[in-house]
Amino acid sequence: MESASISVSERRISTPSAWSQVLGFNVIWAVALSIGGYALGHWLGSKIGINSAPQTETDQDDVAILMGLGFAVLGWMIGLGFFNYPLARIAGRPATLREREEHGAWRYFRLCTDHKVVAIQYLVAVLFFFFVAGLNAMFIRSELTSANATLIPAGNYLTLVGLHGTMMLMMMSAGVLGPLGNYLVPLMIGSRRMAFPRIESLTMWLTVLAGFVLLSATLLGGFPTGWTGYAPLADQAAAGIDSYIVSFALIGISLALVGVNMIATVMTLRAPGMHWNRLPIFVWGMVTTSILAVLAAPVLLAALIMVVFDRTVETSFFITSSGGSPFLWDELFWFFGHPEVYILALPGFGIVLEILPVFARKPLWGYRLAVAGMFGVALMSFMVWQHHLFMSGINSDLRPFYMFTTELISIPTGIIFLNGMGTLWKARIRFTVPMLFALAFFFNFLIGGLSGVFLSDVTSDVVTHGSYFVMAHFHYTIMGGLVFALMGGIYFWLPKITGFNLNETLGKVHFWAMFIFFNLTFFPLFAAGMLGMPRRVDSYNAELHTLNVFVSVSAFCLGLSMLVFLINLVWSVMFRRERAEANPWQSKSLEWQLPSPVPVYNFERIPTITSHPYGYGTPEAPAVADFGPHVIAGEGGLA
Amino acid sequence: MRALAVAATFGVLVALVVVYFIFFLESGPAAIAATRGSDGSADLTLQTVPSYGHHPFPDWVSYMAKDPQGKWEHTTIFKVPAHTLIKVTIYQYDGDSGLRNAFLSGVSGTTGDIETINGTVEHGINANDAAHTFTIPDIDVNVPLPGINPNAKNPCGTAPCSLAEAHNTITFSFRSPGPGSYRWQCFVPCAAGFLFGNGGPMQTIGYMSGLIEVS
Ligand code: HEM
Ligand SMILES: [Cu+2]
Ligand SMILES: [Cu+2]
Repeated sequence: MESASISVSERRISTPSAWSQVLGFNVIWAVALSIGGYALGHWLGSKIGINSAPQTETDQDDVAILMGLGFAVLGWMIGLGFFNYPLARIAGRPATLREREEHGAWRYFRLCTDHKVVAIQYLVAVLFFFFVAGLNAMFIRSELTSANATLIPAGNYLTLVGLHGTMMLMMMSAGVLGPLGNYLVPLMIGSRRMAFPRIESLTMWLTVLAGFVLLSATLLGGFPTGWTGYAPLADQAAAGIDSYIVSFALIGISLALVGVNMIATVMTLRAPGMHWNRLPIFVWGMVTTSILAVLAAPVLLAALIMVVFDRTVETSFFITSSGGSPFLWDELFWFFGHPEVYILALPGFGIVLEILPVFARKPLWGYRLAVAGMFGVALMSFMVWQHHLFMSGINSDLRPFYMFTTELISIPTGIIFLNGMGTLWKARIRFTVPMLFALAFFFNFLIGGLSGVFLSDVTSDVVTHGSYFVMAHFHYTIMGGLVFALMGGIYFWLPKITGFNLNETLGKVHFWAMFIFFNLTFFPLFAAGMLGMPRRVDSYNAELHTLNVFVSVSAFCLGLSMLVFLINLVWSVMFRRERAEANPWQSKSLEWQLPSPVPVYNFERIPTITSHPYGYGTPEAPAVADFGPHVIAGEGGLA
Repeated sequence: MRALAVAATFGVLVALVVVYFIFFLESGPAAIAATRGSDGSADLTLQTVPSYGHHPFPDWVSYMAKDPQGKWEHTTIFKVPAHTLIKVTIYQYDGDSGLRNAFLSGVSGTTGDIETINGTVEHGINANDAAHTFTIPDIDVNVPLPGINPNAKNPCGTAPCSLAEAHNTITFSFRSPGPGSYRWQCFVPCAAGFLFGNGGPMQTIGYMSGLIEVS
């Protein structure tokens, strides 16, 4: 553990000269070297694969493309300077900590080991790709305003759906862990950093690269598989699937590393007195999510590597006629895929349970139960994956088992609901913007969860499988759940992160528009699904036309509501710049006892934790921490 | 001032993303209209080529279509009027690769359930001789196209092929349905080099599949 006695002035916090910043390792070099790397790798690959049947007959040299993408990743990492430190160590230089901790705008464009900078980089990146994927959703809904394929040439619709789904899931997997996890976990546990600061930065830059690599599918003929990459379609598909494979693999690596970093941080860097039962519930959400990420993401990576081999060196993992099985992909993918959907749920639980006590002014109800619930969800999420394969010809004797485990998982999930409701019980609620989002989370997730029961039931899944019912279900859990929670989290913590207040009125406009149009968009789609509208098809039965036009119009309004958020964000942070108080919500949690924005070194002295942070409503509740002789902010928050 | 610059850069970036996506989504082969026949019918003249010969996929097998000016275009999207007799002529320049499902070697959905091959009326062909099919599943049209003689001296090189090169001429007609967009495709797994012959051109509109847009 870092010693509390290192004084701030001894730490190297530098502002390098402008020239050394432009010429040093940064994202400009990364872009240049990754493009150069692609060219080099492609050339090498085309030499290696020369005269192979695929290369001469198919005009699609996957060896070259995949080598190109691989070298692009290397170039990206070299350009950002990720090899400097390992090479220096190999050359015998001494170990250092956080060598890139500095001031100035340039630190946002390079490898930075300040966890707060990485978190902000993450936030901007995730929001950017979220915008791209959201734009794709608007295009999807535009096409679906007509019962026939009209707007978009038929061959591009599938790629569009694949880009939307894959991008959303890739970015949202990192959407809370990346920005909020990296920013808040060290502050909440009383640490000055994450356990592995360079790896932390690596995960963020790999996520950015993954986003662009996925978009490169548009230059390589697109991909027809949606986000699930099913075999043997993935084995036969156009070269765009290579982009899907590499980008998802990058996210897999990034997620696993984020998980390791998060778990190591919470295990080793807690301040004195931060016992496990004083850990904020948000941190528990991050820990359980990380456990899933560490265990599930490598399986995805392995499966993707198998597809790469099938496509390049003519193995036959997924090819029946040569002894493989496409079913193997289904198993491996969903063994990752189901935990993945809880990677998209647990962070939301963490955020809302953290927000509720602050605005209910009551302690979190059933803290230990909530932790148990999160672990229950995490553990059980590895035992249900075959519910995605009920209709795919699995051994029918296995169906009742997976139906049972799936329905069982609603018990720990239900516990989280009880924690929420128990906290709200008889509370005098302050309906701030973050609180509204947190409350909406429960409403939406309830509908998502209840519709999930129909999908886990084998007999009703026969009807709903592969339809818009599924589509509506997972948008209720992911968008209605995670994205609403994330929005709540952003409104809640952004004053701390940026030091500026977001506009409350615009926030409320955003919330109500998003909440109403979200439900108007996705609720009717349950009906569309029950009436037989299939997923991933650009045309549908003419009888469903009116319903779809209605859905599309409200989807556009939903899109506009996100613009309100964007305008609020840009205007409040860049133009209005109204200084936020250190603790505007009167929270007791540790991060709010620091000034806004948080200084580079976080804590002048590592505090000693004296209580859990949920002592609301009792005036005699103990202070959460002892900050030593120099209390930094602390106005009002500690009482 | 700096904030304004950042916001403006941001706005430009967003606009670029939007434009790029519209550009990408709208890319694809253009539709061509059938020509009006003298008897009120609509005529489609197509050819199948063993390899397209041009960027981006010179080795891919492909369909081509003749536009009303008589020029060969690389597209598989055809506009035809509703409830009309459509007369189709296909010049088939490719060798056989055989049907996996022999059922598709029989003609269906055409006028009289027949096709003519080099002038001879047929109800179907030997499944192993099939080079491609022209199939519109929604209206049950299925026409198998036999491959050229493997020993022919002058096989076609690159598209568009000319009538001087080895080919089979297939004709048939069918009635177009009501307005709508109907998918058509080839059912012979003819994508050489791809897994099961089903990748690449078989999955790509403009090569072995397309749309009949009826209005
Ligand atoms: C404005 C909000 C959104 C709208 C209007 C929207 C719309 C759609 C539609 C219509 C589809 C189905 C297309 C089809 O199957 O033909 C779809 C698929 C999907 N969406 Fe969204 N979506 C939105 C936001 C999100 C968010 C926030 C996420 C996740 C974070 C998400 C994840 C997905 C996924 C994973 C798929 C499945 C893709 C596939 O089939 O492979 N969407 N979306
Ligand atoms: Cu699942
Ligand atoms: Cu064909």
